Amino acid sequence: MNARVAVLVFPGTNSEDETLRLLRAFDLDADLVHWSRAHTLPAYGAYVLPGGFAYEDRIRAGAIAAHDPMMDHVIAGARSGKLVLGICNGAQIVLEAGLVPGTGAERTPTAAFTKNAPIPKFICKHVYVKLAIAPDRCAITAALPEGALIPAWAAHGEGRLAATDEHLDEIARGGHMAFVYAHEDGSTAPSATPNGSALGCAALTNIEGNVLAIMPHVERDAWNFNHPDRRAGTAMLAPSGGSLLFKSFAQAVRRL
Amino acid sequence: MRTLGSLPIAGCSDGEIRRLAQQHGLALRADELRTIADTLGRDPTVVEAHAFDAQWSEHCSYKSSRHHLKKLPTTGESVIIGPGEDSGVVALGEHNGERYGIVVAHESHNHPSQVVPFEGAATGIGGIVRDVLCMGAEIIAVADPLRFGRIDDTGSHQRYVAQSAVDGISAYGNAIGVPNIAGDLYFDERFDDNCLVNVVSLGLVKEPEIIHSHAPHDAAGWSIVLVGKATDPSGFGGASFSSVTLDAADEAANKGAVQVPDPFLKNVIIRASYRVFAYLRERGCTVGFKDLGAGGIMGCSAEICSAGGFGADIDLDRVNVAIPGLRPEVIAVGETQERLIWVLPPGVVDDVLRIYNDEFTLPLIAHNARAVVIGTVTEAKRYVLHHGGERVMDVDIDFLTGSIRDELPFVHKASTVTESGAQALGERAGDLMNVFVDVLSHRDVCSREPLYQRYDSVVRGRTVMPRSQGVAGVLAPIDDSVLAVALAVAGNPRYGKIDAHHAARHAVSFACAQVVAAGAAPVGLTDCLNFGNPRNTDHYSEFVAAVEGLAHAAHGLHLPFVSGNVSLYNESSSGTAVPASAIVSCIGTMRNVEGVITPGLKRAGSELFRIGTGGSHVGGTVVADLFGIDAALAPIDEGRERNDNAFLLAAIDRGLVRAARALGDGGLLAALAQMAFASPHFPNVGAVVTLASPVALFNEYGGYLVETDDARRLRDLAAEFEAGITSVGRTTPSPTIVLADGTEASLDHLYRSWRAPLVEVYG
Repeated sequence: MNARVAVLVFPGTNSEDETLRLLRAFDLDADLVHWSRAHTLPAYGAYVLPGGFAYEDRIRAGAIAAHDPMMDHVIAGARSGKLVLGICNGAQIVLEAGLVPGTGAERTPTAAFTKNAPIPKFICKHVYVKLAIAPDRCAITAALPEGALIPAWAAHGEGRLAATDEHLDEIARGGHMAFVYAHEDGSTAPSATPNGSALGCAALTNIEGNVLAIMPHVERDAWNFNHPDRRAGTAMLAPSGGSLLFKSFAQAVRRL
Repeated sequence: MRTLGSLPIAGCSDGEIRRLAQQHGLALRADELRTIADTLGRDPTVVEAHAFDAQWSEHCSYKSSRHHLKKLPTTGESVIIGPGEDSGVVALGEHNGERYGIVVAHESHNHPSQVVPFEGAATGIGGIVRDVLCMGAEIIAVADPLRFGRIDDTGSHQRYVAQSAVDGISAYGNAIGVPNIAGDLYFDERFDDNCLVNVVSLGLVKEPEIIHSHAPHDAAGWSIVLVGKATDPSGFGGASFSSVTLDAADEAANKGAVQVPDPFLKNVIIRASYRVFAYLRERGCTVGFKDLGAGGIMGCSAEICSAGGFGADIDLDRVNVAIPGLRPEVIAVGETQERLIWVLPPGVVDDVLRIYNDEFTLPLIAHNARAVVIGTVTEAKRYVLHHGGERVMDVDIDFLTGSIRDELPFVHKASTVTESGAQALGERAGDLMNVFVDVLSHRDVCSREPLYQRYDSVVRGRTVMPRSQGVAGVLAPIDDSVLAVALAVAGNPRYGKIDAHHAARHAVSFACAQVVAAGAAPVGLTDCLNFGNPRNTDHYSEFVAAVEGLAHAAHGLHLPFVSGNVSLYNESSSGTAVPASAIVSCIGTMRNVEGVITPGLKRAGSELFRIGTGGSHVGGTVVADLFGIDAALAPIDEGRERNDNAFLLAAIDRGLVRAARALGDGGLLAALAQMAFASPHFPNVGAVVTLASPVALFNEYGGYLVETDDARRLRDLAAEFEAGITSVGRTTPSPTIVLADGTEASLDHLYRSWRAPLVEVYG
């Protein structure tokens, strides 16, 4: 039997429904788990943290949610090899919990997704992200082709990776940078990065490769009707490019 | 009955009553207070006076507008619920044997946004989504028609309003996770003292699962349950505040009347309410659910009970409050945000309280937030409030909520301007390419992206066409269904300044046209009427003329108004009113999302056609503004527009249309440029324009610009429909637009002229 997937809902989460829908589209046995049901989490084999504004992004996006009792189970699960996928606010929470890049102590992050630059405001923009590690470096990306280019929507006010030079160096050398922002043609100029993120970073993985924290919402370019450049002859209700990451995640869940 | 703290009306002169009203912060007139005392047969208590003050305000009672609004058509095949409840509902279509409806509500939050723009605009979004939620619907979209003053002076209040209101809309809408898919933005000096922040929201509901804004027929003895934020002193006097003109001297009181937004709590209340909907469906329960807006607990509970033919008995001591010692009138009519009221049968009350308070832990989300039983629906049609063990209000509920009416004088007057302006434009326009660039960088045409990129337009994953791609927003709201809904707004203040009646008709026409250009069939309209003080005959006459214009247009286009709102008193103490602003939204539906049309040019070598002519007038257009031309608005023929709309939808249905855009601000060339900018191949699909007449290139009224690669069949179909189409030019593989006089501009240059102006305002 496949592992079950929990989609965590913190107070302030807002992207749980579309996340759940896409997981189920890949035949995963997935449930929403609300904060008052944290005790049910150990029964799940994989955790997905969706987007939103958990705990109103007080202090810094993800900072409070990283201390929610639900995260005790997620941190323990990650240590035992369960899969953890954080998207947007979920990525911020995963990072604040210290799960990625995972080079520091628990809940002592060595990097943060913080205020966008140069304009320190929310931005909603269609983007592409490019796989910047060997696919099997991270279990969740293992079924993607080398250098996979995936469409997504950036929709965040705090998506800029920031860390000390030393920690950025650690991220680069340790192969933690799973995805970088790219243009539609796959080129990776700084102009492709919507938020001033260090190294053009869009996603981080941990040392073991079982945790992925990605800022742009791949699940919002999940169906052809979501995709801006709808080419004639494509069925609107068929999956589009953003779903590929979820498809790869589903395969990783089946391998558990 | 407590007699202490009554207002001694009996035996007082009008002057004394006015002083008394002022002392208590009441906007009620002396004659109204006298009517209340006479009907009650005694002096009203302070709580009663404040209750009538809210309930009889223009905001709640529509006392000077309701009888005019009756002229609007409100019925039709697509109407599931027309005006009268918190939102209207139009039919979307059937999926898997179930009928779905689109819930729509449209309101203003003008005064609060002028005084405290971030909070004012944020609570505008917060309020409108509650109106949709309480119909039992999933909230699927918001839109924001905005009108601001001059923003050039970086230190001015009006620039601060323009920036901060957008921040508030962004912060609230993004946090609750509702995509912002449509809107528009205009600037004018007559919005310096009164901005307009209108908000529209859509919801999705299965028809049999609609929850009504009234107590069900067997509700006597049922519980009245208040859910949400703890009641505090914020928003006290809000209904009356929006029903008087803004006076700078009252700044402190004005600020106190603005509510405090809490999108974090709202996010949780929305999700908890969805869970309650599912629970009530399982139980097969019919209930009542209503948003708390103007008039707070009193207004909401009185309306939900009286609409069901009942009374209410409420104990204010049971209300969850933020601080102790609040006066009963503050608890009763204060407009603390993020609250709703349920009318529930006894068997389900405990479970509903458990869902809000335990499963979704409201008390842990915000200080003393919760769901709590505050009273009972009564057979006796009295509205009774208790506080501190005493009855502090006891009135006939229909007298409180019933329709009161102010007959105010108005005059019918035709616009004084009759010139078409065509000759003046011909004389003054000069080099067309220069005019083109000036039009693109005009404040009412230039790119809105710096503003709307602050809004999450794609949360919930159902967006088909966000504002970055289209003019109307389009959603595919049902999982695994090809049904789609489109939404667009309109209401041009440059037109409103010239002719309120025709401006209203153009607003209806343009809102519909944007929806049609996306490939959707218009099915319903909403309106928000933003005008000055109704006791000023000129301003009230504009209001009446606009309502008649809306009615005329809706009849002509065979469309119903299903929801709306009136916002009067949009003028400053100096007597300057906003331009006549009948702001309209149009909801369109699409049987198959495969038919969606985006405005971006698709390929080189296509032909470009204009549908409709736009006539010879230029009054109120962007070029008229640029060249200072006083002229009349174009006459409008809704019968012909309806035919043009049917023709375009048929052409789209037959696959003859690659791209389309409704012609609006800036006219044909502005539309063409924006279609080139929106191209997936930008800047590599340009155009050659063969039309030379400045009037044809820059007039704005009605019609479409379409790209086709089958000109012959498009012409044949146009002949079949007897629709007028004109060849405009063709698309090219070069990154330029070439005009009929041979002048050429690079798309890159045009794009920069169009993209730049609002960057320094919105980043």
